[in-house]
Formats: sequence, C-alpha cells, structure tokens
Amino acid sequence: MTQVFEDLDPEGLYPPLPAPDELTRFFWEGVVAHRLLILRCNDCGFYIHWPRPACPNCLSLSLAPAEVSGRATLVTWTFPNQPFDPYYRSHIPYALAVVELVEQAGLKMVTDLVDYDKEALRIDMPVHVVFREVAPGVTLPLFAPAPSGA
Amino acid sequence: MVNPLNRVAVVGVGFSDVGRGLPHSDDQLVHQAITAAMADAGISPADIDGISTMGGGAMRMGGLLGILPLNYFYTSTLLGPAFVDPAIMAISSVASGLAHTCVAVRLIRQRGGANAAAPQEAPVGPQRVEGDAQFSAPFGAAAAGATIGAFQMQRHMQQYGTTYEQFAANAINARYHASLHPEAIFRDPLTEKDYLDSRFVSEPLRLLDCDYPVDSSAAVIFTTAERAADLQHKPVLVESYALSAIRDFDMSLIEDFTWNSPAHCAEMLWSRTDLKPADVDTAQLYDGFSVITFQWLEALGLCGRGESGPFIEAGHTRLGGSMPLNTDGGACNFGRRHGANFCIEAVRQLRGEAAERQVPNAEVAVWSNAVGVFSGAVLLTAS
Repeated sequence: MTQVFEDLDPEGLYPPLPAPDELTRFFWEGVVAHRLLILRCNDCGFYIHWPRPACPNCLSLSLAPAEVSGRATLVTWTFPNQPFDPYYRSHIPYALAVVELVEQAGLKMVTDLVDYDKEALRIDMPVHVVFREVAPGVTLPLFAPAPSGA
Repeated sequence: MVNPLNRVAVVGVGFSDVGRGLPHSDDQLVHQAITAAMADAGISPADIDGISTMGGGAMRMGGLLGILPLNYFYTSTLLGPAFVDPAIMAISSVASGLAHTCVAVRLIRQRGGANAAAPQEAPVGPQRVEGDAQFSAPFGAAAAGATIGAFQMQRHMQQYGTTYEQFAANAINARYHASLHPEAIFRDPLTEKDYLDSRFVSEPLRLLDCDYPVDSSAAVIFTTAERAADLQHKPVLVESYALSAIRDFDMSLIEDFTWNSPAHCAEMLWSRTDLKPADVDTAQLYDGFSVITFQWLEALGLCGRGESGPFIEAGHTRLGGSMPLNTDGGACNFGRRHGANFCIEAVRQLRGEAAERQVPNAEVAVWSNAVGVFSGAVLLTAS
C-alpha cells in the first residue's frame, strides 16, 4: 500500500486520510498536482468513480485516469453536527455535499463546499473544484459555487 | 405470486426484551424472540425446519433452540436491507418447498447506534482509510445520519418543497400512534414546537427524524398456508414480495436521492399481484430516517410522487385517515428493532390484534425496509 500525504506535522490535527492502493493512487496524486482525475474506460469512454478494475458499461479492463474539467452541479448537502472525527468536530459547521461532474450523467463525488452562502445553496447550482490545503501537507478537492454567469 | 409452489403464511411473531445496553447476551435475546414467536404460533422446535437471520448465526440458533435438522439456513451479512432480507429468504424457502416452516430473525445490539456520540478517545495520529471510504471519509462523511438521512431529506425538501412542518406532522402522528402501543418506547405527545426545537443531527436532519437504537431480537415464523390453517391464529398470507438493489453499496452515489431502490422494489412488488395500491388498508414503512417513510409512500403509489409532504400534512396517514401509517409509532418511537417491527405490526393489524391502534377491517397491509441502494417490501393479506 502506498501512501500519499506523508509529510505531516506530528502536532497537527488531520482529517481521515486516504490509504490508496494501486487502483486508487492516481486520484490522490492528481489532487496533489491540483488536477481532478477520474478513471475512464479506454474502449467506451465511460467514467468510473469510485474506481473499479473493470468498466461496468462495456466490461473492458482497459481503464486510465482522465482529467476532468472540475465543473459540476450541486446534488445535495448537509451540515453534520456530530462527526466522529476530531478534525471535523473542530470544523463545525462544514458543508458535506454530493456533486455531479458535468462530464457524465450520474458521475458523482462526495466533497465539502467552500466559499458558499448557505442561504443561496440550490440543487443543480453550478460548482467547480478548488484544491485546498485543509491541514499541513494535505490537499483535498473541494467545491465552490461557480461565479455568477459562469 | 413469485412462486406458485406454496402459498406462504405468517403464523407466529415475537420480540425479545428491548432496551438500551441490555445485560442479555445475544443468545438470550434470540432465545426470547424465537420462543415468543413459537408460543404465539403454538408450535415447537420440532415443527420448524428453517432459520434465516440477520445478526447472530442461523446454525447457532438451530443448536441453541434444538431447531435441528435444518432444511434451510441463511445468515445474512449486515449489508442488507434490514429484517426484510432474512424475512424474504424465509418466505422464499417456504414458497419453494426447501423448508416447510422457517423462522426469520433479526438480532441487533445498539452499541451506540447510527447517531451516537463520538468515541471518547482521539485516535493516535491521523486515521488512514482504505477502499471506497477513502473518497468520503476525508471530507467528514462518517455517520449514516449525514450521508443517508440528511442527503435524502435535503434533496426532498429542495426538489419538492417538502417542509419542516410536514416532517413535524409525520413525527406527531407517529408519536400519537406510539402512545396507543404499550410496548412503544416514546409515548408522550409531541408538538410541532417539540419537533422544531429538537437539535440538528446533520441539518436538515433532526434528532426526531431518527430511529432510536436499542438492543432487540425479533422473530417471525412463516409456513405454508396449508399448515397455517391448523394453527391457533387466523393466518396472515403473503400476497407478494420484492427485494431490490440498484447499485453497489454506497448511499452517497445513488442516482436519485428521492426516487431510488424503493421505487424499483415497489414496481416489482405490484407486478406480482393483482392487488393495487388503492387496496392497501395500512402501511408500515421504514423510518430509520423519517424521509425514508416519505419516499416509500410515493414509491408504493400510496400518494403521488413528490407529494408525501402534503399527503401527511393533510392527515391521511394518521389513524382514522385513509392510509394509517406506522401504527406502532415506527422505529423512531418503537425502537430500531431494525425492520422487524414493521412486519410484526402489519401482522397484528391483519389479525385484528392491534387493540387501540386497530385499523377497522384491515385486510391488506404492506411493510417495507431500507432505502437508497437496497430495499425490500412484502404485501400481506388477512385470510
């Protein structure tokens, strides 16, 4: 198992971190480079997330990471009040959300919203990825409302 | 009917002692539930040749209660749609003739429940998460309240304009029903203010939208209609049943947060019977989170799609209305017996044993469990 986010502050407070394997490592290496990469079928073009070793659309085993635009729409969200994790307990309120990437119908990700106005949140509103260092040495792909007119 | 070989009937139902942090062992809870169901049916271990369970193990139960040999034994993983999972396994074992009499069991230990307080000790160093959870845990997605209840409730409110007041009306009705049930846990009347004042577990989900974790075991005995005719209760017949899974197990990635596995399940349920939604006299629909009940009303066609809020607000789901719903108060008030209470209350209604909660002339009942990625439902009729 290979690690990402290994350069950590021993005194720091961190969210749960990924322990990626060969199938999933590409995603986090992309995040470190501020690129949103989603596994894609080389044969039919279907995007696959969470990563799997085969394409559920055409059964191909030929898959590769593909960079996506980072544009998405907001599907749903909530403000957890009693997370188990100490990092998130100290970051209440936070907006846990599901977004759908524009590249494919149904292509969803779990994320957190940033730079938002709580009262202005609407389903289907355009959002875009922002890579934020949420703790020393740890970057996550978060999403912010797209600027008006974008 | 799914399988024409055998018509299936419910002949016995039973609960163990139910409460928080009970001193009973798992074996003791299961023993209580199965012996209660056997007593209710008026049968003995020698009359049972099948066990299906979620929680514990079927073979262990066979050994514990002398229900041996077994012609059918099924032990579910916990990744299934609650009690309806072993219940439908039991029904299909009898329908197929693999067993003639099968007891379906659910054993659940509260151990903090779905919305419990966080573990008191902080982990040493950051937690490392493998597998699918690495794509959600880093964002603070850990509790079912957020990723199941809240995500779905938010979407239902945004998409259909369902209001907190409509969720309150549902909570008030459920609590009223519970007040009529001696075995319910929460029985004091609830007001709209009580509901609106209750704290957010994960906004928009409130504490009063969540079921109440308990230690509990429940057992329901299914047998052939032929055998059931000789037993002491008026048999309750299985008219139709359906299981559904619509994707692999992650509630965060479902295609539609308001119309998902229950919709598929209901379609299959109705395709296997000549009965229609309008024939249903009472419905016992899973309320792990209250929005799940709202979705089941719509999925089953008991109200229009998106219309569960106004339907509930208009009083149709309260005893005395056209579709009495969760007449034991649901898991929110009766305890998270994890799906079994919906079956048992449906049976009691059709037997005419529901006392002050009785729906007059109840002849058709539907009960259901789960939501999102998987679900199950069973249509029962009075014989």
